[in-house]
Amino acid sequence: MKNVKQIKSTVSSLLLLGVVTLTSCNGVPEETTTAANTSNVFSVEEVLEMVAKENDITRTLYTKAIVGKGKAQGMKFDEDWRKDDVEAGPLPALFLRGVATSIKKSPVPLGLYLGSDFPINAANKFVGKQADLFNVIKKDRKPQFFYDADQKLHTAMFADVAGAGACVSCHNDHKQTSKTDWKLGDVMGATTWQYPKDSLTYKETIDVLNSYAKGTTDIYEQYLKEIDAFVNSEKPVVGKKWPSEGKYLPTAKVFLDSVKKLTAYETMKKLIASNN
Amino acid sequence: MFKINPLRKRQFIGGVTGVLVGVVAFFMLTLESNESYVSVGPMNVGHDDISCVACHAKAKGNLLQQVQSNISHAVGARKTDVDFGTKDVTLNNCLECHDRPNDRHPTHRFSEPRFKDAIKVIDATTCITCHSEHHGERVSVATMDYCLNCHQDLSVEDDPLDVDHKTLIANKSWSTCIQCHDFHGNHKYEVPTKIKDTIPTQIIKDYFKGGVDPFGNDKKYIGLSQDEWIKKLNEK
Repeated sequence: MKNVKQIKSTVSSLLLLGVVTLTSCNGVPEETTTAANTSNVFSVEEVLEMVAKENDITRTLYTKAIVGKGKAQGMKFDEDWRKDDVEAGPLPALFLRGVATSIKKSPVPLGLYLGSDFPINAANKFVGKQADLFNVIKKDRKPQFFYDADQKLHTAMFADVAGAGACVSCHNDHKQTSKTDWKLGDVMGATTWQYPKDSLTYKETIDVLNSYAKGTTDIYEQYLKEIDAFVNSEKPVVGKKWPSEGKYLPTAKVFLDSVKKLTAYETMKKLIASNN
Repeated sequence: MFKINPLRKRQFIGGVTGVLVGVVAFFMLTLESNESYVSVGPMNVGHDDISCVACHAKAKGNLLQQVQSNISHAVGARKTDVDFGTKDVTLNNCLECHDRPNDRHPTHRFSEPRFKDAIKVIDATTCITCHSEHHGERVSVATMDYCLNCHQDLSVEDDPLDVDHKTLIANKSWSTCIQCHDFHGNHKYEVPTKIKDTIPTQIIKDYFKGGVDPFGNDKKYIGLSQDEWIKKLNEK
């Protein structure tokens, strides 16, 4: 009887000691968001539309002002632009892929992809849900939204329209092309964007826009770095001038400033509208 | 302080000895010089000089705090649980040293919805599917035919190969992909144009197991050493 009592008191003491030990210090601090700016003011659709618009303008500027005009100055652009023995810049599709890679390295959980029903590389051909929605986009050119239940990601697709002569001529003339009659204004493909939340705070929205802008700067700087390593080709002068003026290329800052000038009105209009 | 029953003396001595041995063993096994005794298996090729903490970083808080936090989470007193002991190893741990701008198959590309069937077969969204650590090898896939999951429709105009790609695919000769092309595209080498000049499958298998690199040692980017990685962290 005495033994049972002793065991009971020992177990109780141990339990008490355990509880005291476990609660005597605070646990690992829980990460919480600050109260300011936490209300969600934009739907994911609105934010993806905003960033897709910025992407359209950025890509058109790169394709027209850098690739198109650059080619006229003798500059080269190639899908193997990263290879040491190829002295060229990234084609527009690879420029976009560079932006997407940079975004993936940022803490912003945004995904960006490019595909088509007639891609240069067969592995970039849409299948399944994306192929179905791309057929709708080709008809009305309006964005399509869906929830990817497998990955738990809100997904949007936007038409990728041939906005420059260089898009059409390069794709029609490419030796791996599966379609040779592209015309200006054709829906050549679609960008696919993904984000995990259905609505975003103002700060999260700005983060998305900034991560895209940083992606633009990153890939453009990589292009300039490749140029710096050219051995056999004439290097364009990098500064404030553009290829339309001769064998020049703008710096990353000049390029991004131009993008901002072109996108600022539309983006600001939407950002301000959220406060009304 | 404690009154020990003489009949329980041996039990007490045994208990104290056990605790002491445990403390010493815990201390010894946490020393960096003894990491090989704790490792679940030999490090993969190229990782021999990396210490455990490079991937298994200490989790936030001390053990007591971690236990308390996880119990609180279990009973609904806090929203999130916490890592216990060490942080989970993620894709970012790999990319901190192996991120390469020229990667022709970067993991993030496979998050796109159109790859959802492919990644059910081979989850290319993460490195460890093909590079499982602690096996003393280089590539841990069971077969060499993984390209079939995405490249069934491949067609190459002006095909430079003596047996064209379409024929190889029709014949399901999927091992020939890796016999010519390195998956990540980081090697600088001449791609063969004749099937007879491709790398034999046994040499590829040996390479996967950690043998000589048949694509050569001329690479555009080299993974960071631990010192270089630490330097990069300090620069941030």
